[in-house]
Order: sequence, then C-alpha cells, then structure tokens
Amino acid sequence: MRQVGKPLARREDDRLLRGKSRYLADLAFGDQLEAIVIRSPFARARILSIDTTAALAADGVVAVFTAEDLVDVDPALTRQFYSLTPAFVERHDVFLGPYREPILAPGRVSRVGEPVALLVATGRAAAEDAAELVEVDYEPMDPIVDPLEAMAPGADPVAADVPGNVQASFRIEVGDPGRVAGTADRTVSGRFRIGRSVGSPIENRGAVGVPATGTEPLTVWSTTQIPHVLRSYLADFLRCGEEDLRVVAPPMGGSFGGGIYAEELLVAFAARALERPVRWLEDRRENLGNARHSRDQIIDARLAYDLSGRFRALRMRIVQDCGSANLFGLTLPFNIASHARGQFAIDHFDVEGLCVLTNKTRNTPVRGAGRPEATFVLDRLVDMAADDLGLDPAELRRRNLIPAGEMPRDMGMLYRDGAPMVYDSGNFPDQLHTALEASGYWEKRRLGGRAGEGNRARGIGISSHVEATGLGPHETARLEIDDSGRVVLTCGSNPHGQSHATTLAQVAGDALGVPYDRIETRFGDTGLLERGGGTFGSRSAVTAGSVVHSAAIELRRQVLELAGELLECDPADLDIRDGLVSPRGVPGIGLGFPELAAAARDRNDGDGSGLSAHDEFVPSTVTFGSGTHVASVAVDRETGVVSLTGYVVVDDCGTVLNPMVVDGQQHGGVAHGIGNALLEEAVYDEDGQLLSGTFIDYLLPTATDVPDIEVIHRPHPTPLNTLGVKGAGEGSTASAPGAIANAIVDALRPLRIEINEMPITPQRLVELIRAAEAEHMVGSAGN
Amino acid sequence: MTPELHTIRLTVNGAAVSVQVEPRQTLAGALRDQLGLTGTNLGCEHGVCGACTVLLDGRTARSCTLLAVQAQGRSVITVEGLAADGERLHPVQQAFAEHHALQCGFCTPGFLLTTIEYLDEAPAVDSDAIRQRLSGNLCRCTGYHNIVAAVKDLVRRQAAP
Repeated sequence: MRQVGKPLARREDDRLLRGKSRYLADLAFGDQLEAIVIRSPFARARILSIDTTAALAADGVVAVFTAEDLVDVDPALTRQFYSLTPAFVERHDVFLGPYREPILAPGRVSRVGEPVALLVATGRAAAEDAAELVEVDYEPMDPIVDPLEAMAPGADPVAADVPGNVQASFRIEVGDPGRVAGTADRTVSGRFRIGRSVGSPIENRGAVGVPATGTEPLTVWSTTQIPHVLRSYLADFLRCGEEDLRVVAPPMGGSFGGGIYAEELLVAFAARALERPVRWLEDRRENLGNARHSRDQIIDARLAYDLSGRFRALRMRIVQDCGSANLFGLTLPFNIASHARGQFAIDHFDVEGLCVLTNKTRNTPVRGAGRPEATFVLDRLVDMAADDLGLDPAELRRRNLIPAGEMPRDMGMLYRDGAPMVYDSGNFPDQLHTALEASGYWEKRRLGGRAGEGNRARGIGISSHVEATGLGPHETARLEIDDSGRVVLTCGSNPHGQSHATTLAQVAGDALGVPYDRIETRFGDTGLLERGGGTFGSRSAVTAGSVVHSAAIELRRQVLELAGELLECDPADLDIRDGLVSPRGVPGIGLGFPELAAAARDRNDGDGSGLSAHDEFVPSTVTFGSGTHVASVAVDRETGVVSLTGYVVVDDCGTVLNPMVVDGQQHGGVAHGIGNALLEEAVYDEDGQLLSGTFIDYLLPTATDVPDIEVIHRPHPTPLNTLGVKGAGEGSTASAPGAIANAIVDALRPLRIEINEMPITPQRLVELIRAAEAEHMVGSAGN
Repeated sequence: MTPELHTIRLTVNGAAVSVQVEPRQTLAGALRDQLGLTGTNLGCEHGVCGACTVLLDGRTARSCTLLAVQAQGRSVITVEGLAADGERLHPVQQAFAEHHALQCGFCTPGFLLTTIEYLDEAPAVDSDAIRQRLSGNLCRCTGYHNIVAAVKDLVRRQAAP
C-alpha cells in the first residue's frame, strides 16, 4: 500500500498528548547550574564599568562572566549565515559589509536587551536575585531607531565598521523598467510599511552546555532549527574542532525562524569554564525583546500598466531595518525582491535593496521571510490598479497571471543561491479560478461595501503568491537496519512541529516496503550524523524528503541483494511488502527484516548488519510552490475591528506527502499571516525601548481571530526532485496579509481608503476611516 | 539567606502528595521541579498563553501565576493525569490526535484541560462558543482550525443521545 499521499496518523502525537515529550526545560543534567543573561537597558550606550563584586558574594552565585572574561574565544559572531556566489554578487551589484555581533557587549551596547553579562548560580531564583547586584555604569547616547534617519548623511554609525549604516545592498534589473515605466499608460505607487513582528513559538528559547566527559564531547542542547550549523559556529567561537563538539536539538515547542544566538554559545563557554552543566532558559519578555524579530521594511513600489490592464513594469526600493547586526545579509530584502512579481507576467522589473542598521534587536527570517512583505505590496498595487482602471481585481489578476503553458518560466534574475530563478511548475490561472469558485467570490463581491449588521461592512479580497522552497545547500540522511531488523531513519533536518517522524517515514516506508510506523526516526543530533542542514525556509519535505527517498532506495537494493543470495534467486524477482521480502507474485512468504539482519550480521562476523545507506541531497536550486487565498471580512466602521468571516486557500506544494499534515501547515501559516496583518507588532519608542514585551502588548492571534479555513490542493509536482515535492510551510503566511488588506479596502469601498501598512490595527483603521470620511464630506461639499 | 520552606499537602492526579516549597514557588514550578510532572509547560509565565493550564478542583487555572501554597488541600489534575501510562488515551486526547489538533505539542496540555472543563459544562454545538472558550490559550502552530474541529467533534458526540 502506498503511504505517501495518505492522511496517516501522526506518530508524534501519543507522547505529546500524554505530556511525555521532553522539551529542553524538561531535561535534567545532574548538578546543572542556572544562567541568566544580564541585558542592556539602553538602546545605545557606553559601558563605563561593570562591578560584579556584590553579585559574586550573593547566595548561590557561582560566576559572572563579562566581555573581559571571553579570552581564548572569538568574542563576536562574524561569519554571515549564507555565502553568495561571485556571479551572483556581480550580477546583482551586491555590496556586503562586515557583520559583527558581540557575544557579550565589549564597552558599548547597541540595542536594548544586548547581552552584557552571564550570571551563573545554583538555581534560577538565586540567579535572578543576584542579577540585580551586578552594577553596570552606562553612559547613554541618542539611539537611531528609524532606518531612514540611519541612512541620512552624517548619521552616527550603529556599528563602528559600517559607516553610513547601510550594511548590505543589491540591485536587480530585468528588462528595461525605467523606459517601460516611463511610457506605460498608467501607474500606481505607494510607500508600504511592514511592521516588525516576532516569531513567538510558545516555547521560549533555551540552551544547556554540558562539559566534555571521557566519552562525550562538550555538548550543547539547544532549541535550534540548525544543530549542525550551530556546531560550526560553536567551533569558531570556542576555537576548537567540530569533532570536539556535539549539538542536540531536543523536541521543540515550535520555531518559526532561527539563527545563531549568543546565549547558545555562552552556555558552552560557561560549562567548559565551570566544568558543570549550565542551563539558560529564556523568559517571554526576553524572547519578545531579543529573539526572532522579523519583517520591518519600508518599501517604495510602483506598478506601471496599460489601459488594457496589462502589467508592464514593477519598480521597488526596499529599506530593511536590520536592527543592530545583520547575520543574514541580503536574505530578507532579497527574498522580497525574488517574490515581488508573484504569479504575474511582469517583464520589466527593478529593485534596489538596502540593509540598514539601527539600535534595535537583530532581524532574522521568520515564517515567510520576505514573502508576506512582497505579496502584501504586490496585492495592494494590483487592487489599486484595478480600482484605477475600473476593473474587478479578479479580472485584472486573470489578465496578468503567467499562463500555465509558459511554465517553466525564467524570471530573468538569479535566486539567492546563485542559480537562475525559474518558476519550475504550477498553474496559476487554475488556482485563481478554483479559489474564486470555492469562496463564492463573485456573489460576495457584488455585496461588498454594503453594510451588514450594524456598522459592519463586508468585503472580500484576493492574494496570490509564489514561494521559493527547498533551499540548499544540502541535506543528509542515513537509513539502516539494526541488529534486531528494525529500520532506523536518521536525518539532518530536525522537526519542531512539522511531523518529520510521520512524513519522512512515509517516504522511506514506500521505498522500502515497510509500514511507516515501524520505522524508528532520529533527528537533531550531530552525534548521530556528521552533516545536516536543518529545518527552515520550507525545505524539509523537499530536501529531507528527497534524501530519505534516495537512501531508502539504496537500502532496498541492499536488502534485495542479500535476500537474493539467501534465497538463491535474482533480486529482480523479489519484492518487499509489509516488511517481508518475497518472490514477486508470492506475497506473505519470505524473509523478514530480523532474519535478514541476523544473516547479514553473521556475514559480517557479528559486526552489525552492514545494511545501511547514507546519502546527501544537493538541490540544483529552489522549487516554487504557490497559492491563492481569498479572505472574507467584516469591518466595524466605528471601532476599526476586522473579523475574518471566511477563508479559502488553494495551494500547490507539488506532491502532497500527507494531506493532513500539509493542511495543518496551511492553517498555521494563515493564522500567522492574520497575526501579521491585524495584530502583531514589536513596537519601539524613540529611545529604542521595546514597548511590547508581554503577550498582553504583543498580540498573537487567538481562536476567535482565526476563521475556519478551507484548504484545496491543486498540486503540480516539480520536475526538480524525484518525489515532485515543493515546500508548504510558509506560503500561507505570505498571502494572508494581502488578502485581508484587500478585503478591508473592498469592505470600505465607498470610502476608497488605501492600506499600505501592516499590521492593520483597529487604531490605524479608524484613523483611515475618519480621514476618508472627512475627505468624502469635503468632496461632497465641493461638488 | 535560606528561604523558609512550607510543607503543602495536595492531591495531584488522584494521589495524595506532600511537597516542600518556598513561598515564592509557583504551582507550575512545584509540579515540574518537585514532582517531576514536566507535561505542564511554561510559555509566558505571566498568565496569558495558557500552556500551563491545569485543573484545580475541576476548574482551569494558570499554574504559572498561582503559588504552590495556594494549592494546599486542593486537587490538581495535570496532563499526566488524563491517561495512565500504557492505557488508552483520554477521549479528548484521542480527538486531538484524530483531528491533527497539535503540531509541536507545547500548548497542547493547556488545550486538553481547557477542553475537559468545557465539556463538563455540557455545552451545545456552537463553533463561536468553542472559539470563545479556547481563546484564552495560544497556539502558534495549528491556526486553531483543527483544535476547534476536535472540540466540536467531542461536543457533538457528547450531545448525541
């Protein structure tokens, strides 16, 4: 029975439902110490002195580390997360300045929350009590909170080695956008502001450093999406070999963006220095202030088109507020650029992207990572153009979608991995048609703008996106049959809710002829696998799925060859079903994996079964998933509160490994997009102080903010991998903001408001409504 | 300065227990650190996310903002109390599995206990009411769609004659 494509039950659930999963904070490491990070209360300041005397004398305090103590290690993170090819740098006019992020602040701080000291004590309470006794004398300076101010001539540098505060930049030009935009019949344009948001998994970050023993290397347990990458950063920091380190990612309570953080390195340093396990557990305030901030761009965009409604050129300038350091280089603005044209045929296109440093928390890619921003801007421009032309937005979209017959389509630029950017598969017009039908678009559109109950106006909006998925550079897996005949799958991509233990076992199970629930799975441990990529950028189904598939096929070959020897027949005449190797056409009799493992072990003089396949998948480039969403809303014109009344997702993630799991990704992605569209914003004041440090101020969507979501799959498998899989994790976050914004504009059609900022909070919307009403009245009076 | 310790007696998952706690120890801390019941997860420690929800004398309570000493003499049910090891899952747990109502699972214990309290009130089948009732618990993975579906299924089955 084929397992891929079926909504098979998750193998993860039993432990999780019983509360038996061991998340990082649930683990105990003998005589572990507890660390807390003492953080800067100022956005920009000189540190004149740090006095730890009183803290060190307090009950239970074992050590306080400051920048001065970081000897014999690299005192700062300096290696950028992604490398770029020379051809890419040349083609897209890339400038990439230095990246430097101190592990502990050396004499100056450049954001609120920057780690200044690590205090280690026998318990958490003792550590928190003593933290107040660490005396840091700061000399505050004026911070730069606004990226446009940071770019102004004469602005003080946020980082000493980045004069002018533009840390990175690029330029893309496809076709002849200047000329074409200048001669097109019409244009719409706007300045779009994308609010800063926080990834906000329900589990906070945490890390434990465990000193080396006679048998185990120095080990870091961390809530990381990228254990192998973390190991390499740890090796840089500690100036040791990767073989002297082990990184383990235990089960995680979600993660929506990652990177490398000072705290993960500091616990290793402290454990090595103190020769005891050292645990750091983040609290929510620290998380909201320090971890996984994302978005936060100012995007100037202009769409040029003919009176026939044909899009001619798109021009864009992106100012990315990176915060105080930029680990990810071009990633966020370049992702915006590479997704900016969405599903539309736009032959003339240019983008200037600028990564600007400010005295705020470092920005990282979070679910969507540029896609929601790009999609929001394009969706708004399209609906503005439709309004200008007097066309229905659906009709204008239909006229400009890339026809199915033009796939694959070279987009005339390079992707960030250096390969030509090509939309490899999909049928966008069918997606739109399906979404319009499923949502009852035309009927709702007819009613749009009319007041519903009370002051609630109803509207409907469309968004369509593309989603580059399955980013390299590589992913690794090993499939083996252990002594007892059990199949063991080890993969370098570790899950944090994505169901790898189910979906990857389905892939392996099909190739091997073994039910998925009889395959043991192991993830997130560099001690088990020499290399690994991780889970980010909607990559795991593509990269991990592909390598598990190829490794399983190789293991199948080994199994059949061995069985052929034992049964004295041609392996080609054998088949594996339900874990039993049988002659073709004679199912139910034959050799089981335990017998094969025993025979193999005998052949190897008892040294394991030797039945093992190890493989690495190196994708040629990304593969493009896509989706079209239709959101229905009710807008309260008095309060500015927006309610979602319906939501349809039409998705193309290629081959669907497990529809139940993919639907779950879509639901979660939409909810995240709803949060970004309406609720979530990390707010800084002019002093660089974070005002949204609790879940009372930083609003995640709740069950009442998210509607029922209908998910429809219209899969077009990619030719770029054997399974035909495209990623599914982020696309739904991409389209929710644009669909919702367009639906709100539709609901308020008589007022002709423009939404160019997210989140669209009630306050902002009320301001727009009031302003439009005032203008409307003036306009009426004038007429 | 060694903090004063209090001995509290309470019932946890049906068993009488006695634990020594500092006055500032939270109920969540006592459950997790003293009793080893790590199924109760801490998400925000300021009473908003609901991951740490337990049943206290049958009613939901945020164990992160309740002091352990406040549980003196009372009965606490945690996620570990819903199904004994090796036994079948509780019907609410089963429904969550069937509907794929969990992904990372970190918020799940809170949702399970919130749902159990809700079902005890014999509610009518009403999606809006279910969403209202679940809105005190945050989930970042599922978008709530499948959690609502699971709870709705449970309500429907319970309401069926």
